[in-house]
Amino acid sequence: MLPQEPPSSELLMNTQVVRLLSGVSVHGDQHLAEVERDLVQMDVLLDEAIKKLCASFMAIHHAVDRQQEALNGLLAGSLPASEYAQRFEALRGEIGRHVSAAVTGLQFQDMTSQLIGRMVQHLASLRDVFGALDTNGSALPQSGNEALLALLSDIGDRVDARRSGVRSTVNQRHMESGDIELF
Amino acid sequence: MSKTILAVDDSGSLRQMLSFSLKAAGYGVIEAVDGQDGLDKARKQTVDLVLTDQNMPGMDGLSLIKALRGMKNYRNVPILMLTTEAGDDMKAMGRAAGANGWLVKPFDPARLTEVVKKLIG
Repeated sequence: MLPQEPPSSELLMNTQVVRLLSGVSVHGDQHLAEVERDLVQMDVLLDEAIKKLCASFMAIHHAVDRQQEALNGLLAGSLPASEYAQRFEALRGEIGRHVSAAVTGLQFQDMTSQLIGRMVQHLASLRDVFGALDTNGSALPQSGNEALLALLSDIGDRVDARRSGVRSTVNQRHMESGDIELF
Repeated sequence: MSKTILAVDDSGSLRQMLSFSLKAAGYGVIEAVDGQDGLDKARKQTVDLVLTDQNMPGMDGLSLIKALRGMKNYRNVPILMLTTEAGDDMKAMGRAAGANGWLVKPFDPARLTEVVKKLIG
């Protein structure tokens, strides 16, 4: 069996360049895909929250109108006071339910804030990937493939070290109240 | 005398809504902005129930629970997690740390007060 020849410097250079470009592409794509996912999720949550809040505020407005009508009727003495008392109690309960729904809807801020925080982390990581491509101001070696290979290898290592590692903490797709589990 | 609840969350709006909902149900509420603040406030006054978020800057919810369970006067105080996290692995970690329940955000005020009432009356 013939002894294997060491790979040529052109082949090594080719391997390093491919590794570097692939690293930038893969890491960049990972971070941008996560940002895209978070933006879509945020859009869904905001849309649901706004719809929920609009419905709650309109319902509260109508209930307050009906409360005023009942108050006017009470002052005019159209019906017995006991009947109004029941009506007021029912309206109070109705307003309470709408306020509760609004409180649930308002919690979009907490979730979207976490999603924005995650997106900021991904963008910072992406900036790190691009930062790793920086040769710190030094020009590429003019001659000597070994020096250029070493530089490419070093940049490749730095790009590989900047893998995406931001865990998702918000998986909600709706603004309905979440599960409750007592242990 | 009304029962007091310690509400720990780094989101100001969430604390405001928790406070609004629990006070409307007749409870006293102490707010804390993160785990460390919650621990400091729990040391100053023993509360009847702790409601904590998980992901907060500095000390997180699980660390807060572990620290509280290490204190004699908090061994039997109900502690509930209120978080966006819904994974079984996180729930298991909460349970192991000493949480009494897991509530996934967003919360509904009526359901929340129902659970609190069940635990502390």
